[in-house]
Amino acid sequence: MLENERMNGRKGTRPERAYCKIVPGAPEPNAPVPSEKLSSCLSQSSAASEPNAPVASTEALLGDADLIYLYDGSLEGLLSAVFAAFARKEAPVNLAVKHNLQESLLCSSVFIDTDLVAADRVQAGIKRVLGSDTYEAVKQVFLSKNEHKGGVILRYLRHGFKRGRWFYTQLAHPVVSEFTAVQRVVINEAHYLRQFVRFAQLESGLYFARIQPKASVVPLIMDHFADRFNVQPFIIYDARHQLAGIFDTERWWLTDASQIQTPALSAEEDNFQALWQTFFDTITIEERRNPRCQRSFMPKRFWGNLCEQIPPQLRRRHPQTPTQIVQVLNELH
Amino acid sequence: MEMLDKLTILADAAKYDVACTSCGVDRKAKKGQLGSTTRAGICHSFSADGRCITLLKVLLSNACSYDCAYCVNRRSNDVPRATFSARELAELTIGFYRRNYIEGLFLSSGVLRNPDYTTERMCEAIALLRDEYGFRGYIHAKAIPGTSEELLIRLGVLADRMSINIEFPSAQSLNLLAPGKARQSIIQPMRFVRDGIKANYQDKRLSTVRRTRFAPAGQSTQMIIGASPESDFQILKLSASLYQTFEMRRVFFSAYIPVNTNPLLPPVREVPLLREHRLYQADWLMRFYGFDVTEVIDERHPYLDLQIDPKANWALNHIDEFPIEINRAPYESLLRIPGVGVRGASRIVMARRERRLRFEDLCRLNIILKRARYFITCNGVFAPDVIFDPLHIYEQLSRVTKQNQSNKFLKGQLSLFDASCVNNSDGIGSVSGQEQTAIRSGKFGLLETPAAVEQVASYAGK
Ligand code: SF4
Repeated sequence: MLENERMNGRKGTRPERAYCKIVPGAPEPNAPVPSEKLSSCLSQSSAASEPNAPVASTEALLGDADLIYLYDGSLEGLLSAVFAAFARKEAPVNLAVKHNLQESLLCSSVFIDTDLVAADRVQAGIKRVLGSDTYEAVKQVFLSKNEHKGGVILRYLRHGFKRGRWFYTQLAHPVVSEFTAVQRVVINEAHYLRQFVRFAQLESGLYFARIQPKASVVPLIMDHFADRFNVQPFIIYDARHQLAGIFDTERWWLTDASQIQTPALSAEEDNFQALWQTFFDTITIEERRNPRCQRSFMPKRFWGNLCEQIPPQLRRRHPQTPTQIVQVLNELH
Repeated sequence: MEMLDKLTILADAAKYDVACTSCGVDRKAKKGQLGSTTRAGICHSFSADGRCITLLKVLLSNACSYDCAYCVNRRSNDVPRATFSARELAELTIGFYRRNYIEGLFLSSGVLRNPDYTTERMCEAIALLRDEYGFRGYIHAKAIPGTSEELLIRLGVLADRMSINIEFPSAQSLNLLAPGKARQSIIQPMRFVRDGIKANYQDKRLSTVRRTRFAPAGQSTQMIIGASPESDFQILKLSASLYQTFEMRRVFFSAYIPVNTNPLLPPVREVPLLREHRLYQADWLMRFYGFDVTEVIDERHPYLDLQIDPKANWALNHIDEFPIEINRAPYESLLRIPGVGVRGASRIVMARRERRLRFEDLCRLNIILKRARYFITCNGVFAPDVIFDPLHIYEQLSRVTKQNQSNKFLKGQLSLFDASCVNNSDGIGSVSGQEQTAIRSGKFGLLETPAAVEQVASYAGK
């Protein structure tokens, strides 16, 4: 374990994949909002000066304290809202998902229509001016459950366009540090899932895993599993975010999955689970028992989806504990 | 015999091997083949003792024709015996791997008939996995001392990492406790494996062709701590020379757990877990922080302090090199601050280009100041409440250890300026008599703590 470096910030260099589908019923994504400001900001590779930028950093953090933008919950929607903030020279405190917002007396909210053209321009601008790593980072933060992620992303990008490509090394800057803190949670969660996804084989031969992560990290882990398990079709089902990643041995994609029937397991699945449970129990050295340490590496919230953590009395085909087996064998000999 | 029973026996017999890591080699996935490895390795589960499970760790067979005193599998022990067939082992590994239970296989074995015969069986099993099942996951193979060189080459080419256990920190203990294994029969294959790994780099053509590379993830070894009378000094010296001469990737320590009763073995009242932990910390200092073994420990004080970690210990013994100014100190000095790791140090270097760092900024960099706060200044000032006095710091740090111990090494996740750090002025008087003696003797950490002295005395008496 010690050798294992947590949280490697390596970003994929894979071709772009859609992170979020456009929610059906969203307004037609046309009507671009042309803006001098934004284009100047996005096209100049040097740190474009921004006349409207708040002067002090506290002010930058607070922004227009009484303004919130709403978007439809998709990445494109978020990027459209970012575009609008630049275009309208406004600094909303947050970009929130429409249905999540609790009406507040203190804030006025404006709904920003998702505009694919604007979203594309923002994406291209981020990549060109701030590098594709920054775009990956924005996508990671977008997957977070943090309610303020929209505002965090907006401030981060604004700061980036002002300071130029290397702004992300300013780790002690409040805007950068709030961003990296949210990002860290997502990256850690993705790493946890690379460890703790457990596939079960279904009757059809498909492998199925159920997870309930803190952040919607399925898009971040699919590459890893699709590479490693390229010979087996699989589904990773995120029950909390109702999202499924599907891999058919050629390519992977995401789909909404609000209801998934608990599928029937293959004949040998029980067998392998029992073997794994046995191995897991056996490998423990009793004299070193240390459940606290175990929990600190493998938090309890994952246990519900780990077959080795199913208590023995609830296991299907596992009548005896390992010590009992050894006892029985001893008697036989 | 049922598969379940076999697995129980053969996993149970392998559980005392500590080297459960899957790192050191990056092997990209390949279309049509199962598996890949990542340089950092991935732990897939944690057993109830808090150790990571990353590989299917089993013996090929626990039937052994040797009679090592400390080992459960010794010939004279009356335990149920089992042996995997190559097919069974491959099916099991693949079944586990496909379910994302493991990163690969850790294969060791008792000595079936003789070392060559055993190694042949191991090669057979691994070759089946690699060739027929096209398995690209991680494989760690334990070489059996006394195996012929041709077979070692075969095993090394099939596996990612090789290891040969050195077992004990000195030749005398080895002779005494593992009579079947001569020192030479351990050293020789180690040297052989080292040369094999070196050859990977010399012959460029070879190393680019997959599967002809010899043990690409290097070699490791392990020794049992606390079953023989060697001091920490001897142990660390030995591991330093193992890193140097044999280019080991890792030297593992395993706290001795009595499984057999044998008059040769010491009566162990308690598994020396804390000692093992300190040895690992010292090991890290040598591997990642540029410490020399002589800085970590010396002959006059041959035991690591159990109260405080080796890095803090070094710092207290070199207090004139502190405090370190966060905004100016070079990277190498930052690395020497107790509680600041490799990542923390590079974050500091990165962040201070933009601004002069204050303590709040360090918090933003996600640096835990619990221990570091005593040894640093930001813009020339100490953290609030810090009394820069070695005696005082020693007290504070051993209190931190006590807390952690009651948490059983739960990694310090407390945030900056958590209650226990801010209110560090209370409770100073509550140092135990034992500690006070230690403190008064004026030397920190490298001192022979009463417990350590007692330990030595009890061995000497045996
Ligand atoms: S050779 Fe010694 S240590 Fe290895 S299995 Fe046999 S008895 Fe145990």
